Amino acid sequence: MLGSAELCFNVDHGYLEGLVRGCKAGLLTQQDYLNLVQCETLEDLKVHLQTTDYGNFLANQTNPLTVSKIDTEMRRKLCGEFEYFRNHSLEPLSTFFTYMTCGYMIDNVILLVSGALQKKSVRDLLGRCHPLGRFSEMEAVNIADTPSDLFHAVLVETPLAPFFQDCMSENTLDELNIEILRNKLYKSYLEAFYNFCKDHGDVTAEVMCPILEFEADRRAFIITLNSFGTELTKDAREALYPTCGRLYPEGLRLLAQAEDFEQMKRVADHYGVYKPLFEAVGDGSGGKSLEDVFYEHEVKMNVLAFNRQFHCGVFYAYTKLREQEMRNIVWIAECISQRHRTKINSYIPIL
Amino acid sequence: MAAADLRAELDSLLLQLLWDLEELESKRVALNARVEEGWLSLSKARYAMGAKSVGPLQYASRMEPQVCVCTNEAQNGLQKFRVVRAGAQSPEEVGPREAALRRRKGLTRIPEPEAFSASPNPLNWFGILVPHSLRQAQASFQEGLLLAVDMASLQIHINWGRSQLRGLQEKLKQLELGAA
Repeated sequence: MLGSAELCFNVDHGYLEGLVRGCKAGLLTQQDYLNLVQCETLEDLKVHLQTTDYGNFLANQTNPLTVSKIDTEMRRKLCGEFEYFRNHSLEPLSTFFTYMTCGYMIDNVILLVSGALQKKSVRDLLGRCHPLGRFSEMEAVNIADTPSDLFHAVLVETPLAPFFQDCMSENTLDELNIEILRNKLYKSYLEAFYNFCKDHGDVTAEVMCPILEFEADRRAFIITLNSFGTELTKDAREALYPTCGRLYPEGLRLLAQAEDFEQMKRVADHYGVYKPLFEAVGDGSGGKSLEDVFYEHEVKMNVLAFNRQFHCGVFYAYTKLREQEMRNIVWIAECISQRHRTKINSYIPIL
Repeated sequence: MAAADLRAELDSLLLQLLWDLEELESKRVALNARVEEGWLSLSKARYAMGAKSVGPLQYASRMEPQVCVCTNEAQNGLQKFRVVRAGAQSPEEVGPREAALRRRKGLTRIPEPEAFSASPNPLNWFGILVPHSLRQAQASFQEGLLLAVDMASLQIHINWGRSQLRGLQEKLKQLELGAA
């Protein structure tokens, strides 16, 4: 039915959309960032954050204040907001929220498995897991030795189960296999999320599909860039690329053969969206890195998502914008605590 | 004259000491710069990978060192420090024993190079596909380590120089008192 979003969306999801738009208005402005950048110590930073939407979130923290504590408390606040949205949501928004949490669940599983490799205690690891990716079987993850074990013993009842089809193998989980497992899980997850949004149709598909296509292509580029000089073979690398982006199929095939940054850039030059991004990358340690440029583009797309109404993409966009804001604050806090202020303005302003 | 020789020696020793002090200062500045760069690169890596992905969770509480510091005595009795890769000494000792075993048992046992290869790269604790900033951090800290070892050797040389200088000044004083 044409225009069904405008007619039906508000019945089930109107309250939550209003709420998330209100939360989005509480993101830090350029003036807030200018105040934060001028702080001399982390205590000053805490005082300035009290005047923003963050309020007294660090009130219960004991001295001394560290960057890690600030990051943990910001994450907890975001998780509180997210859980509120999720608890009040109805289908299909609740499935959309479940898809959003799967990404964090994958990160938590990998953290637990690699922590087990380093013989860390489960309690320490559980304390550091991302709160958005909590699931009940988390404590049992460290008993598994191979991906098949991990699936059959632990994750078969979790939302991650459908993403395990390509990952089943009897290889012991060492560093290389953990990395491969992480990327294969994420690839399956991203493709499933993309198909869900596409099948949903309507404004949600129009907003979410380009965002997820960019996410897939970004992963392909970053995997390629980070794999230069490592033991990952070209075929293994190609198996990790998500196929729901614009690069599929030709770009991915070319990217799999790339051996240095220049060759990667030539692949990106074939795509009108990615050519200007690669041109903005500075050379050496002076300018922006590829990750910075991708984060900026992601922020642009997420801000634009708020220009359309009656779609689930605003929740995804809000969460991602909050995460960028957290990255900005952590970066500023690290520059302050290390007293290295030359690069303190390298954050990405959102509003 | 003995006093003139002594004074010339004193002068050259003083110049050498000042030279060493200048080199120590420049190495200290370079070490501070490398350490600062290293920490900033770690922050950049946390920005790209996530704040909890580069931290104490990723390394074991007990770890094998990749490099060791060895001391050896130079001709003037001074200790000099140098950096050596850990595990670099063992292959030569095991070789002849392997050949002897082969002769006795008549089996062609292939020596296992893996057991004596270099210890795994600590970069792998953070994953195989790590961002460039983490590699830069590793390079900065490695350079800083070499600088620290050089500084330690220089410090010993400077201390020796100072004691030599004091000794010569005493001798000169005695000589002048004796002549007067």
